Amino acid sequence: MKRSQLFFAAIGILLLAVFPVVSGNPYYIHLVETIMIFAILLFGLDIVVGYTGQVSLGHAGLFGIGAYTAGVLVLKLAAPLWVVLPASIAVTAVFGALLALPALRVTGPYLAMVTLAFGTIIQILINEMTFLTEGPLGIKVDKPSIFGHKLDEHEFYWLVCVLLIVSLIFVHRVLRSQLGRAFEALRGSPVASDCMGVSVYRYKVYAFVISAGLAGLAGSLYAFSEQYISPNTYNFEMTVFFLLAIIMGGRKTRTGAILGAAIIVMLPKLLDDIALFRIVSVIFAALIVAGSVYLIARGKSTVQKVAIPVASGVGLAGISFVLTTMADWRLSIFGLITLFVVYFLQDGIVGFVRNALNLHGHARTDAEATRSIASDEKALQHPHGGKSDDILIASNVLMQFGGLKAINNVDLRVKRGTIHGLIGPNGSGKSTMMNVLTGIYVPTAGTIAFEDRSVVGRTSSDIALSGIARTFQNVQLFGEMTALQNVLVGLHHTFDSNLLDVAFQSGKYIKERNSSTARGHALLRLVGLSDLAGEEARNLPYGKQRLLEIARALALNPQLLLLDEPAAGLTAPDIKELVTIIQKIRGEGITVILIEHHMDVVMSVCDQVTVLDFGQKIAEGVPSVVKSDPKVIEAYLGGEVEPAAAA
Amino acid sequence: MLKISNLHAGYGKIEVLHGINLEVPKGRVVTLIGSNGAGKTTTMRAISGMIAPSTGSITLGTHEIAGRESYDIAKLGLAHSPEGRRVFATMTVNDNLLLGAFPRFTGSRPKGDINADLEKAMEYFPRLKERRLQLAGTLSGGEQQMLAMARAMMMNPEVVLLDEPSMGLAPILVEEVFRIIARWRKEGVTMLLVEQFAAAALNVADYGYVLENGRIAVHGPADKLKNDPAVKAAYLGGH
Repeated sequence: MKRSQLFFAAIGILLLAVFPVVSGNPYYIHLVETIMIFAILLFGLDIVVGYTGQVSLGHAGLFGIGAYTAGVLVLKLAAPLWVVLPASIAVTAVFGALLALPALRVTGPYLAMVTLAFGTIIQILINEMTFLTEGPLGIKVDKPSIFGHKLDEHEFYWLVCVLLIVSLIFVHRVLRSQLGRAFEALRGSPVASDCMGVSVYRYKVYAFVISAGLAGLAGSLYAFSEQYISPNTYNFEMTVFFLLAIIMGGRKTRTGAILGAAIIVMLPKLLDDIALFRIVSVIFAALIVAGSVYLIARGKSTVQKVAIPVASGVGLAGISFVLTTMADWRLSIFGLITLFVVYFLQDGIVGFVRNALNLHGHARTDAEATRSIASDEKALQHPHGGKSDDILIASNVLMQFGGLKAINNVDLRVKRGTIHGLIGPNGSGKSTMMNVLTGIYVPTAGTIAFEDRSVVGRTSSDIALSGIARTFQNVQLFGEMTALQNVLVGLHHTFDSNLLDVAFQSGKYIKERNSSTARGHALLRLVGLSDLAGEEARNLPYGKQRLLEIARALALNPQLLLLDEPAAGLTAPDIKELVTIIQKIRGEGITVILIEHHMDVVMSVCDQVTVLDFGQKIAEGVPSVVKSDPKVIEAYLGGEVEPAAAA
Repeated sequence: MLKISNLHAGYGKIEVLHGINLEVPKGRVVTLIGSNGAGKTTTMRAISGMIAPSTGSITLGTHEIAGRESYDIAKLGLAHSPEGRRVFATMTVNDNLLLGAFPRFTGSRPKGDINADLEKAMEYFPRLKERRLQLAGTLSGGEQQMLAMARAMMMNPEVVLLDEPSMGLAPILVEEVFRIIARWRKEGVTMLLVEQFAAAALNVADYGYVLENGRIAVHGPADKLKNDPAVKAAYLGGH
């Protein structure tokens, strides 16, 4: 598999490299060059849009900054290429960090509006800052020189080629590393990312900066490629085209970015030429008809479902022969094609093809391939805790939402190495307590000391890294990531390598990667999910998702583990297994706080139990005593202790 | 009332159900038990049209519903109280219940006396009455579960699917939920119940099916299943 991939890559590069020599046509050379430049930008845009799940309509602005950094440096300082390219990347990256600031506060349509404003402001600034940018007149940029040799069309093309491949390798390595997983985790669940010690704040900025750096590189190459830059190129339309390219090509794939770049460059040109358009639309229609017939024959689709795509494909081909000139219809047809792709191929073209051919992404194959290396890895690590008897002391904790006191002056002392149960009716403040302990809420009043250090006011990721891990009542997995990747996000703290280590695959990074992968598999084995390592988390049954959350939390090497209803949704035999796992965890010296409604679980594993009702502590002590406390029976347990026992 | 034959369904390429046959007669409570990943929720989702089965037939009364859209199936009288409650968090309890009766307002289900049914729901679930004008998202987990059940009932359905009604509830509320199911059963409500508390489910059900790896392994009257040694060992936790 790997060898064949390498072979195809080599063929592709070779074809790309000989293209200018074979074709000889400067128009086509320039087209392919533009596609490559756009692809570099799209690799970066995909990090933000595809992986972190943020919308950015500011990338045309960033592209413009890259182009103008190059233009101004060449115009004012006659700077050489080896200064211009890094400078463009750096300047644009700084603006990328600026663009990330709103993304830390707003999401969705609001972020789209803010980034759109960013792009517009950049365009206006370029236009108005005449002293630097020559304003609407634009800047003429000659082809650059290397070692005193001025590059001609072909040589510059090859330079772009090389930089495309370098960017591709760079982006590919980054996205497969712990950084890429952190980006993807932000999309899956920001809360869970923070609670795994992956600071949402930091990695959002990181993603925007890397993305902007690539936009800067693409921008500067674009300036040299066009040899003339002017402010109105970097407009709203361009930003929409970029986004469209990602959507059409398919997010989260590099092939998709290249394909998307090709589409946005070629399609408008294609629509200029009626003869070419006729040929292509007939081929397109034939492909749709053939695909539909295949799907129906295999029983995977019905006539109704394929009717619209077939009709529109054939219709488009028909129209192409009716029209005598394209000029008036160009934009309408372009719009229709776009609508068609976005509507019918929601995973983009690459996603569609992958689905149809049943291909898996590398995440899944990686997980399968690395399973064997977990053989003698130790899943749990003994925590190096402090000396004091109580690992956690919370006193007089008050959590007020408006007029509601969700937690009302609760004291909680958790002894090191024990399992402390936290029970109470629904809505009694148990989950709120978890959120207060992990920094998701800041308590209105009261103190909380973990390992003799206050957690009040610290960020969730900081608290997580100091040794408190948790699971969530309503499962918060990173849905599109595999089970193994989910655990690896928990192991993020074991990575010390930086962007350069990742880009050059340094020995340090490789070592960290291998040991974390082995550990990840070992953790999955601990909770019995070994066989599902390559499965996307969202496809796991509910009960297994809960187990995966425990494995992910354990990856943090916590001293204190908070389990929020781990047995909910588990059947009796599964619960037995869960109890064994919890006991193993305690056996390693990890302290556990357990919220649970299954009394058999609470009674069998807990050393101490605290009972909350309406935000107040109503009982505390060893399970057998708490169980027979009349107040607890009235508020929580009811007549029968366990309905299943009534059988 | 509800009849499933040779149902195959799954997600994308993964088939979860490999040919299931199941029947819920009118006025009866049937429970579906099995371990995690056996396909219980998938069965529920296939019945209510949230996923399209690859083959097989599902009939509700005289209508074939396999592969139809959820809203069409709902109009024929199938109510689904989903796993994880799924209440309309930003709407009041009252509005949640009225939305449950939506097909009755639009005329696709017999209208009857909606207000009377609303009062009846409140009488069944006094907690909801107290919180009538509160936003559903601010209810506790147990109250949301009750709301989801009451909302399903508001449709005046032919069949109710209850997916894990006791999940995440305090023991005292688990009892309450089962009391309500038992009360509905007495009133002749047709129900298909998926539950992790297999023993409790078999206590309120007339008939039970045990699902293993996407196939029905055993089925029979609830009393009989309860005493079946294999079922006891695997699903009833040794009680």
